[in-house]
Amino acid sequence: MKRLLVIALSTLLFGFSLIAQAVSVEDSKGTFSINYVPQRIVVLEFSFVDALAAVGVSPVGIADDKDSNRILKEIRDEIGDWASVGTRSQPSLETISSLKPDLIIADISRHEGVYADLQKIAPTLILPSRRATYEENLQATAIIGKAIGKDKEMQARLKKHDEVMAELAAQLPKGKEVQFGVARDDALFLHTADSYAGGVIRALGLKNANTGRSDDAYRQTSLEQLLTVNPDYFIVGNYVTPSIVDKWKSEPLWSILKAAKNNHIYAVNPNTWSRCRGIISAETMGQDLIKVFNAKK
Amino acid sequence: MATRSLPFLILAMIGLLIANLMFGAVSIPFKQILAGLQTGNEHYFTIHEYRLPRTILAMLVGAMMALAGALVQGVIRNPLASPDVLGVSHGAGLAAVFYMTFFPNADISWLPAVALVGSLVAALMLWWLCGSHSSTIKLAITGVALAALYASCIDFLMLVKPLEINNALLWLTGSLWGRGWNQLAMLLPWLLLIPFALWLAKPLNLIHLGDDSAISLGIKANKLRLASLAIAVGLTASCVAICGPIGFLGLVAPHLTRKLVGGRHQILLPATMLVGAILLLLADLVARTIDPPIELPAGIMTAIIGAPYFLWLLLRTK
Repeated sequence: MKRLLVIALSTLLFGFSLIAQAVSVEDSKGTFSINYVPQRIVVLEFSFVDALAAVGVSPVGIADDKDSNRILKEIRDEIGDWASVGTRSQPSLETISSLKPDLIIADISRHEGVYADLQKIAPTLILPSRRATYEENLQATAIIGKAIGKDKEMQARLKKHDEVMAELAAQLPKGKEVQFGVARDDALFLHTADSYAGGVIRALGLKNANTGRSDDAYRQTSLEQLLTVNPDYFIVGNYVTPSIVDKWKSEPLWSILKAAKNNHIYAVNPNTWSRCRGIISAETMGQDLIKVFNAKK
Repeated sequence: MATRSLPFLILAMIGLLIANLMFGAVSIPFKQILAGLQTGNEHYFTIHEYRLPRTILAMLVGAMMALAGALVQGVIRNPLASPDVLGVSHGAGLAAVFYMTFFPNADISWLPAVALVGSLVAALMLWWLCGSHSSTIKLAITGVALAALYASCIDFLMLVKPLEINNALLWLTGSLWGRGWNQLAMLLPWLLLIPFALWLAKPLNLIHLGDDSAISLGIKANKLRLASLAIAVGLTASCVAICGPIGFLGLVAPHLTRKLVGGRHQILLPATMLVGAILLLLADLVARTIDPPIELPAGIMTAIIGAPYFLWLLLRTK
């Protein structure tokens, strides 16, 4: 009897010690549990790199589209070297496997189809990135902090982020209407109020332009449609130069744009504004906007 | 003469099978491939979970799409015909893009089933419009028109919902990335169609003599056509559902084979399966190894080889 009690107690204690070590978080596929601090992390979207860099953790592999310049310079300086695991849309699973990761962070929008395969390589945390809004990104960042055993640091960093954003917002004029879009060779995509950039603009105390229907994060827009939106400030990220926006500049319609008349059109790095999505990039975007609003004086 | 190239084709395919297991973002020496099949080996994931199912899948999909192409060309008696003229792959594409754009949060594992339904509905549509007694020309033209209709619907969906364009385009190109044992298992039941297709070889030869001669030799031309096209639809639909519409394979493979072994279907059908398998194995190998760790969709590779070949064919048949 006594022996039984000892066994029962020790199993209970053992169980408790496991629970104490294990961290459980809710990801896009349910509960994700991990009972160690991951040392070799592979990330498959840029926003996750941002989250790791925010607490000084370096991933061993990144799906960086084999172009390290797509990672912000601030972040590159923080995390040092990494191995490319291919494109974000089709990362090379064998390269990921060869890096012997102990945690993979994947994007529910892009990598759901290979979730089962990724889990065979290493525990996989799957979170929203590509379609995520500013708020969803902050939530995902906090979850990553817990999963990598840096909950306290991440909470502190997120708190600091709120302060930084508030400081930046204080330096920006309240309620000005700002619209961001990325320009390719043949198309302009406006990032609406539902997009990540739209959320950052609001978080900085500025206003999104009314882009009409609000169910899409990105809307392809012609010059005439842009004229209907007619934002006060127009921020363009050119993926190529000359982009379609450069071509439009010679069109008569362009000159009636409010932003064109008042010289309120500014070019920014499309990588920071569109691809990266994370707290460090949001702060960089805030600094870009301060430059924009100071430039006009 | 004709059968002499068969051993070469088999050797080439085996060589490519091994190459597909050895090469990729990480090269694994031949000796370690067998070891990689055992659990616990450091290459277990790469070999057993990743390259092996994908290689088998490339072989089967290549063979099945090529066989479907040979059947369609045999029945429609036009060298430019391919399963694409039945509108099956575009039907699958439309269903898949519709699913991706309107249910972006739905489970992606349903995609093959959705695509399969799309392609089968497209085939039924064609049958409903043409019936089983119409001429092959009417069939081909109706099929092409339907395919164009589906393609324009796909374009419309992608223009209206540009957010999903990346995923949709990727699927529409056709790729073997991320396909594994599960997808292979989905494809296996469809392999049953292959013996039926080979069984049709002799009557397909006769139908080449023209309908009148074929009928006088005891062939039920309409039934044969229906059976061949139904098998081609099944083969194409199952492949497209899993890998997306890998372009030009069903057109180019039977053609190359006809050049190699001639037009007798008893040899043409098995040989075209080998050629199809070789083409897709090669395309996926190149797509994986051309610039590692970047993985290109295999459909881009088949299009790079297939499109110029198609043009050359067009110019020559004039």
